[in-house]
Order: sequence, then structure tokens, then C-alpha cells
Amino acid sequence: MASLRPLRTTSVLRTLPHSIKPSPYLCRPLTTTPNLHHNTTVDPSEVTHFNALASTCYLDVGCGGGIFAESAARLKNTASVTAIDPSPEVLSVAVAHAKRDPGLVSMMGEGRLEYLNTSIEELPRPGTEGGRQYDVVTLFEVLEHVTHPAPFLEHLLPFVKPGGWLVLSTIARTWTSWLTTKVVAEEVVGIVPRGTHDWNKYINEGELREWFAKKEGWGNMRAMGVVYVPGLGWREVPGSEGLGNYFFGVRKEGMEDERESWGKGGYTLESRWNFSNRV
Amino acid sequence: MQVWDGVSDSRISFDWASASGLAPKQPVHQSTIAYMIENLNLTTALLSRLSELDSKLFISAPTRVSSIELGQETETLDLRSWPTVTLDNGRQLAARLLIGADGANSPVRTFAGIPSRGWDYGRHGVVASLRLEGPGWGGEEHKIAYQRFLPTGPVAMLPLPGNMATLVWSTVPERAARLKSLKEEDFVAMVNAAFRLSPVDLEYLHTIAEGQKEEVEWREQHTPVDEQKIPMRAVGAQAGSVANFPLKMRHADTYTGERVALVGDAAHTVHPLAGQGLNQGQADAAALVRVIETAVSQGSDIGSQLALEAYTSERWQANNALLGAVDKLHKLYSFGSGPIVPVRSWGLSAVNAIGPLKGWFMRQAAGT
Repeated sequence: MASLRPLRTTSVLRTLPHSIKPSPYLCRPLTTTPNLHHNTTVDPSEVTHFNALASTCYLDVGCGGGIFAESAARLKNTASVTAIDPSPEVLSVAVAHAKRDPGLVSMMGEGRLEYLNTSIEELPRPGTEGGRQYDVVTLFEVLEHVTHPAPFLEHLLPFVKPGGWLVLSTIARTWTSWLTTKVVAEEVVGIVPRGTHDWNKYINEGELREWFAKKEGWGNMRAMGVVYVPGLGWREVPGSEGLGNYFFGVRKEGMEDERESWGKGGYTLESRWNFSNRV
Repeated sequence: MQVWDGVSDSRISFDWASASGLAPKQPVHQSTIAYMIENLNLTTALLSRLSELDSKLFISAPTRVSSIELGQETETLDLRSWPTVTLDNGRQLAARLLIGADGANSPVRTFAGIPSRGWDYGRHGVVASLRLEGPGWGGEEHKIAYQRFLPTGPVAMLPLPGNMATLVWSTVPERAARLKSLKEEDFVAMVNAAFRLSPVDLEYLHTIAEGQKEEVEWREQHTPVDEQKIPMRAVGAQAGSVANFPLKMRHADTYTGERVALVGDAAHTVHPLAGQGLNQGQADAAALVRVIETAVSQGSDIGSQLALEAYTSERWQANNALLGAVDKLHKLYSFGSGPIVPVRSWGLSAVNAIGPLKGWFMRQAAGT
């Protein structure tokens, strides 16, 4: 896609409305205790409480250079990030970039951040040996390059834990996206190699909605259109999901009682993000 | 705050009572427009706040930076984009984000290769801690700052607790050198003369090597002034407090580089006539904190250009506008005669007469 600057994809996750239930069986919770001093203004009970919430597991499909995987790994409420890409060249770029950050290097040592050179088709499926499910499965700037998107998504869905989210970003098939991604990005500015995009593979937000509406156990769909404003960077523009680049989130239904208890407790993903701002 | 033109004597008096209309409805203290805080108090407060915060804080002081170099690549780590600071005690620190708060000649700015442009004013600032004959005309509870614009630059008397005050006298380098060489009684006489005598008298007084005290006493008899409108007389200067430094205008092309951010004088140097240097630096620090908080909340690398660029865009224009305004003020008041003098005098009197306009200027100065 015509990425003049990378999108801050982690901020998108804040808009997810429901909580993600931490599951101690599938994710390894963080065991590090913050080094607290007597003179601190941070309430120790808040920190302990917060650590208990550090349990979101991510699967980033088509991680590329690792821009999302790195950001997700740095978030305090992240238990693990598994980032996969079938291209060994791309994956080595991601690993080399992570080496620039000692924090990420130690996370890779602990297994909290792992890069795997594999496609989603080769990743062990949940329920089989070595297979597992994730709270958030992300698929950023991948779908527009896939020739058969329906079977591809079909393959992806079992990796989402009940109550978890699939979050993706892609480009709508419109005359504006043709102009920006084919003409401007590939021909005029030349920031991506010619032939990077196949406009015919672009998927409209309405098509995704229609597809997921027919899926049993999936709902809570939401979209967020973003537009690159020269000089300002990427900005959310309501309604622009019908124009070009957009994010799309869809939730796998979980057990009803779980969702309610978490909702009442106020532990939405959003409030947990606020936690990480405060600590 | 009292400000006046040393050539024409036209005057502006900054106090909320006379700045009707747009003044704050309920200022905390009815007459306070600014605070003078001694550096020692600021530093002490900051250190005690820091001690309340993160236990991971490491302070190395007193110490000097010997060198800043980029880090190395090893098998497991690639620190080639990380500034590595070597201290004079041999300790090495690799920085995810190196903040240059290291003054006008910032070694961090040099390390980052960020050009800084501007010009020298050909003036020196002479500073001193003075003892006055009393706490000031407003008493201990109502301190007044004074600034007189002389053709060589403004001379300001800024209040401190008790009978103390700070002098900031911008003048040409030769006169600054002369002032610094004087005996205490002659120096004090020159300070009193700076707020009272005409520019012509002052010019002469700088040409004599000593004996200013007697010269000033004699000339004051022939120069009537309203003592209540100017600072109380200085009676002494604190030993060792007289110092001078060159005045410059400098602005860095950008405030951020890979794993580098500049704040305060490292990013910009301003003429002291409006007293805005510290305010600018504090606004820089506040903006940088907000940018870092955003980056942390999004899981960004706080040292990356991508995360830091919002800091430059928030502060550069604002600082540039202020640097420009202060620079124009300096130029406006450097004329000793000619058509500019009556025009600027009219301007000052006009601002003084128009309450809301004056209120606007005061809010700009107070940073509210």
C-alpha cells in the first residue's frame, strides 16, 4: 500500500469496544514485579492489578518489517506476540530491526516476542500439536495481495480465541485507491515498486461485512477509514472506509457470561490502555 | 512591571488593574503577572519531585560528558543508532533517547549534526545580585520589575525576596568589560545611573576608568526623576556575582534527530529582554513529555524519529515566532535618535492606554 509513513496501528486497537479475557492456560502471564520504592506516587495495588491484566496474546500475520509486532510487544498489557511472514528476506529485516532495541531482544529471549518464518497455512492449527489460539489476530496490509481472500480468511479464523478479535487493514477497490496506490505511489512518487499492487484484488469494506455476516459466531464488526494527509500523516476520516485505506475489526463470540462480567468490571481493552498511560 | 524608553521617557506600566477587559477574571494574586524563581529553588523542587518518582532514576552529579559516540553492533544487539555517552568518571551510558538540555553550545546538538542558525547581537548581558536600600516601592508583598530601554540595550532590575534584586544589563561588549572592571561603589553608582541619567551622561560615564560614584552624584542633582517610578537605589553588589555573557539569537533547524531531542537553549537562544528563555524551555519540556507519553501508550520506540517528530512540529513554530518578536523589539529600541524614536514612544504610550491590548501582552508574557 501507499505507505508514506507507517500507520500507528496500535492506536486502532484502542477503539475495540470489548474486553479480551486473559486466559492463563493459553498465554504465559508476566511474572516480573515492578521494583517499587516507598517514595513512589504510583499506587502499588494498581501496579499489581495491572500486571495481572498483562495477558493479551497477539498473532501478527504477514508481519513484514515488524512495525506492528514491535509496538504490540512493547505494550505493558501484552503477554506475547507471535509474528509470522512467509518471506525469509522480509523476516530477516524484522529480526534485524528488533535487534536495535535491547528491550525487544530480551523479549525475544523470553519468547514474549517471536518471529516465525512461516505462512498461516503452515502454522500448526489450534487443536493440533503445537497449535494455539490468540486474543488478537492482526492482518495488516496483506489481504489486498491475496489472490483468493475467502479461503485465506477461512483458514485464519480458528486462530482467534472465543471473545477475541481479528483486526485487519486493507484498501477498498475504488477510483481513489486506484489513483493513490497505482498511479501516485507506483508511477509518480515511486515509493513502492511498480506492480506492488493489483487493484483488482482490493476488497471493499462492504464485501467484508457481507462475508462475515454469513459467518456463524462472528459479529461486532467495525471499520475505521484513514486518509493520508500530506504534512499531517495518517488521519482517521469517518466514512473514508468507502474511499481507500481502512481498518476492519470483527469479534469472535465468546461465552456470554464471561463477556458480561468483564464488561461490568470495566476492564475494557480501552481502559487497560489508559492504565498503560498512567503507569 | 514598569517599562520605559530611555530616550523619550514614554512609559508602560504592566499591572492587571490597568489592563481592563481581557485580564483574567480572578487572577490568583490580583497584581501578580510573573514570578521570579531563583535557579537553586527550581533545581531543588525538581530534584525532590524526581525522588518521589521512578526508582530506576540514576543521577550522576557532579560529572561531565567526555564524549558522545554511536554504539556498536554485536551478534545479539545493534546499537549503531544509539548515542553512547561517556562520562568523565569512565561510566558509559547508551541512550534510547538522548535529550540535549545542555545549553547554547549544546554538545548533543553537535553530535546529532543539527545546524543552528542566527546572529550575535554584538551585546553582552551584565548580571549581578544587588542589595537595595529597601524591599521596593510596593513593599515585601508587592514586588515590581523594571526595565529601561537604552540605545545600547535594555537594563532590567528584577525583584528578589527582601532587599535583593537581580540586574540584567544588555550593553555593548566594551561597556560590559568596563562595568565588570569597576570597584563595587562605582559599579553600584553606574547601576543607579542606568535607571536615572540620560543616554548622553551614561556614554560619558563609561569612558572614565574610575570615579563614577562622584560623577553620578553630581549629575543626578541636575536630572530630576520621579523616584517612585524607578527601582529603589542599589546600595551594594554581592561579591563575585557580577558576570557577563554574549547575547545571541540562535535557532536549531530541527529539535529532533534519531534518538536525540533538544530542549531549551540547546534548541534556541533568545535575547533576554522579554525574559522568555526559561518559559520557552519549560514549554519544550512539557511538549516533549506529552510526545513521549503518546509514544509509550502506542508501544512506539520513544527514540525513533517517527515518535519524536510531533515534538518539533509542536514547538518549532511557536519558538520561532517568539524569537522573531524579541529580535524585532531589540532592533526597535537600538535607535538612539531619528524618526523611529517618536513612533515607538507613541506605540508604547498607545499600548499603555489601551487596557485590553495591554492585557494581551501581559498574558503572553505570563504564558497564560
